[in-house]
Amino acid sequence: MSRLLREIAYVRSGDKGNICSFGVIATAPEHYEMLLRTVTPARVKQLYGDFVKGAVHVYRLDNIHSINVVMEQALGGGAPSTLRLDQTAKSLGNAILRLPIDGIS
Amino acid sequence: MKDVVRLGAGSGFWGDAMDPAVELMEKGELDYMSFDFLAELTMALLQRQKLKDPEAGYVPDVVAYMQTLMPMARERGTKLVSNGGGANPRAAGKRIVEAARKLGLTGLKVGIVEGDDLLSRLDELLAEGISLPHLETGEDNVAAMRNRVVSANAYIDSSGIIEALRRGADVVVTGRVSDNGPYVGPIMHEFGWNHDAEHADRIAAAITVGHLAECASAVTGGMSSRWAEMPRMGEVGFPIIEFSRDGTAEITKLPGTGGRVDQWTVKEHLLYEIGDPRNYLMPDGVPDFTSIRLDEVGPDRVRLSGIRGRVQPDTLKLLIGYSDGWIGEGMMFFPWPDALGRAQKAKDTLLERFARLGLDARAIHFDLVGVNMLHGPAAPMPDYELNEVGLRVAVKTNTRDEAEKVRRACSNLWIMGPGGTSFGTPMKPRPVISCWPTLVPRGIVEQNVEIMEA
Repeated sequence: MSRLLREIAYVRSGDKGNICSFGVIATAPEHYEMLLRTVTPARVKQLYGDFVKGAVHVYRLDNIHSINVVMEQALGGGAPSTLRLDQTAKSLGNAILRLPIDGIS
Repeated sequence: MKDVVRLGAGSGFWGDAMDPAVELMEKGELDYMSFDFLAELTMALLQRQKLKDPEAGYVPDVVAYMQTLMPMARERGTKLVSNGGGANPRAAGKRIVEAARKLGLTGLKVGIVEGDDLLSRLDELLAEGISLPHLETGEDNVAAMRNRVVSANAYIDSSGIIEALRRGADVVVTGRVSDNGPYVGPIMHEFGWNHDAEHADRIAAAITVGHLAECASAVTGGMSSRWAEMPRMGEVGFPIIEFSRDGTAEITKLPGTGGRVDQWTVKEHLLYEIGDPRNYLMPDGVPDFTSIRLDEVGPDRVRLSGIRGRVQPDTLKLLIGYSDGWIGEGMMFFPWPDALGRAQKAKDTLLERFARLGLDARAIHFDLVGVNMLHGPAAPMPDYELNEVGLRVAVKTNTRDEAEKVRRACSNLWIMGPGGTSFGTPMKPRPVISCWPTLVPRGIVEQNVEIMEA
C-alpha cells in the first residue's frame, strides 16, 4: 500500500473569487522535497477533475517548507454564486492529502 | 515615542465570538484593538440594506462591539479600529457616537473613513473610458450587467485610518479598507511611516502581521490541521501582535487561554487565501512571503523577521457585486440497505419532476452527502455499503419562481421517493449576488475622513 501525502503534510484551504487556494506544509523539513515532487500542477488537475476548469499554479516557499496551490475557476463561479455546499472552499484543499507520495519519479 | 506597538485582534469575521475580544481588552494591555468584519460578499449584502434604509448598511455588530469595549478601551488607552462601517461608515459612526454619549464617554472621538464606495461613480468611470475587465476571466462586458449592479467597492489602503488617528480618533470605523488595513494603519501612524521605498520592507511586515491576525483565532489554533491537539478551542485566545519599529514582530496570545501559537499555526495562516507568495498584492504594499523567517521564541510566541516587500501598487482592486439570479436547493437522506441505490433513484425521479414542472435551469448540481459533496471528483466512491447517504441538489435559475420549482419537486419526493426517503425542512430559494473583481487606477479613489465627537 502506498503512503499518502496526509502522512507528511498539513493543509489550509480557502477562496478568492472563483479561485481556490490552499497551502500545503511539510510536517518536517526533510519532507519538503517529497512534497515538492508530489504536488505538481498536472497531478492537482487530475485529482480534482472537472471541479477545476482553469489553470493550476504551485508556488514554493522554501523558507517555511511549504507550497501554495492556486486553482483557477475552481469554485463553480465563486462563493456567492456557486452551487456547491462548501462555498468558500474551506474543505477543498484537504483532498490533496490523498495523493500518493511513493514511487513518484 | 514607542518602539513597540501592541495590537490585538477583536474579530475575524462578522459572526465571530465577542468574549475573546473582551478578555483580550481586559488583560492584553493593548495600544490598539483591530477588527475585521467584511468578507467578499458582505459589501453587496450591506449595500442592499442601505438601499432599503439610508441609515442601515453597516455591520450591526460593530455598534454592539464598540458599546461593550469603548468604556474599557478608554480606561486603558486602547484605540479601536474596524472596517465595520461596511457600506455606510457614516451611519455606523453616528450610532457609535450615540452609544458613547449614553455611556457617558464625553469627548470620545469617532473617526469615519469613506471613499471606497464607487457605486455612484461607476458610469462616470465607464464614460471616461476606464475599462473594468474581470480580473480572473478577462471578460470586458461590464455593460452587460450594469443594470444589475448593487455594489462597487475599492479595497482602499490605510491612509484614511492613519489620518483619523492623527486627528485624535479613539475609534475608527471604515468601509472596504483591506482586511489588514486596521492593523497596518495604526502601525504606520505610531511610527510615522509614509508609503515610500524607504519604508517598503517595514510596511510589508505590517501587512504580513495584519494578514496573520485579521482572521483572529485562525492563527491561534482555529481551522487547524492539528485540530485534535488544540486545547480548549471553545475558550480560544485571540492573537496579540507586538510590532517593533525595526519591522520585526512577535505574535502571541494571553496566557491561560485556549488554542496555541506556534510555527505551525503561523505557517498555516500565512498561506491562507493568498496567490503568488512573492507578490501578496495589497493596497498598502506588496510583501514577499518567501522572505519571512519564523522562530518559536517562547511558549505560544513566534517571532517574524527578515520580511521584504515592494511599495504599494498603482492600481486598487474593485469588487463589483451584481444580482445574478436565484438558487433553489434541497436535501434528502436515505437509509441502509442500498442507500446509494435509493439516492440514485431519487436523483432520476427529481430530474423527471424538473422536466414535468418545466424547470428553466441555468445549471443543475447534485452531490452525494457523505460521499463526494466536499471533494467532488477527488473523492473515490466507497467500496463498502453505506449506513446512510444524502442527496443534495442545487439549481441556478433566473427567477425566484423557477427556483421555487426546485423546492416543490423536492417536496414531491416525500411520497414519490424510494422507501425510507427522509427530509429536514425544505430550503427556501435564495437570491444570488455574483462578484466581478477588477482593477482601477489608485488616483481615482479619494479617501474622506471625518471626526465625530461624543
